[in-house]
Amino acid sequence: MSVEEVSQKLENVTVNDDAPKTVLSDNKEFEVKHPLNTKWTLWYTKPAVDKSESWSDLLRPVTTFESVEEFWAIIQNIPEPHELPLKSDYHVFRNDIRPEWEDQANSKGGKWSFQLKGRGSDIDELWLRTLLAVIGETIDEDDSQINGVVLSIRKGGNKFALWTKSEDKEPLTKIGAKFKTVLKLTEDGLLEFYPHSAANDRHAQPSITL
Amino acid sequence: MPSYTIEELIQLKPSETLSVNFDAVEFNAIIEKVKQVQALKEEEYNATHHGHFNRRRSSHLHHGKPKVKQHKPKVTTDENGWSTFEPKTNEEGDSENNSDSATTPFTPTISKETVKVKPNNRHISSSRPADNSDIITDKQVHGFNTFAALVSDDEDDE
Repeated sequence: MSVEEVSQKLENVTVNDDAPKTVLSDNKEFEVKHPLNTKWTLWYTKPAVDKSESWSDLLRPVTTFESVEEFWAIIQNIPEPHELPLKSDYHVFRNDIRPEWEDQANSKGGKWSFQLKGRGSDIDELWLRTLLAVIGETIDEDDSQINGVVLSIRKGGNKFALWTKSEDKEPLTKIGAKFKTVLKLTEDGLLEFYPHSAANDRHAQPSITL
Repeated sequence: MPSYTIEELIQLKPSETLSVNFDAVEFNAIIEKVKQVQALKEEEYNATHHGHFNRRRSSHLHHGKPKVKQHKPKVTTDENGWSTFEPKTNEEGDSENNSDSATTPFTPTISKETVKVKPNNRHISSSRPADNSDIITDKQVHGFNTFAALVSDDEDDE
């Protein structure tokens, strides 16, 4: 087929203008959004700069999102993890669950925890991968065990925590194995599960280790 | 239940920055302000600690041992250039008693050393002396007199 023939064929192609615009066909004025399984809320813990500030003053919901497009819009407009000040936390929790172990949805659960030693540049990528696996619901295909995910920016090493609604070993082991893949952990990388019931014990041992 | 793989979600990422339903400018401003405050605090900390981050607090305030100043022996130089050392005497007329020291009992003397002590308020309620005069009073001035001890033993034997 010659170039002229291809050009002629392209001219004959008619674009169906009635089809709804997606984020792929129109970046700005798209109509169709890709819905997520549930609504999610982004929370931020501001580091204390004044002794008078209490925990309730520091932990605040930032915004909510229910679609993939809304999620990307938020990610584009907030600082990346490496830009956050020390002692900051990002929390992304399902619906209206508060990122506190006292919340009814969290009280009988726990968290898969991993500490990334050093201030590596891959924290941004790993946090994004964790978020995508959680909101895309691929980290927990069987049931919605996941309540939320937390990133803590700390001097000794940034922490990732995947909060679950129960302490059941079987489903949690599956989730833990997937979480390890998401975080690109090798055999040496240690993932630990701590029940929230032991949250007050500073020397608590993990109930599951992967 | 809608689910998306990581790769699918990345494909749905728009190339242009979208607007959000909250005040992102204010949110970013708060974070920037916190970073500035933290930087200022760290600078202040470095200035006050002179870079000694791992120095632990001392368990005492450096007055564990009182300063004892020994008086220098007096040396006089005469016209011919001869220097004479004058041994210190405990009391006036002490030299006269030296001859019969073997027979007379030992008498306690007060040292002329200067004891410089800073009272430590931390120990004010403890058994440690907190006052200069207490330390001087408590100072042991009785020495063991061998001759006196021998005499008393002889008496007992008789």
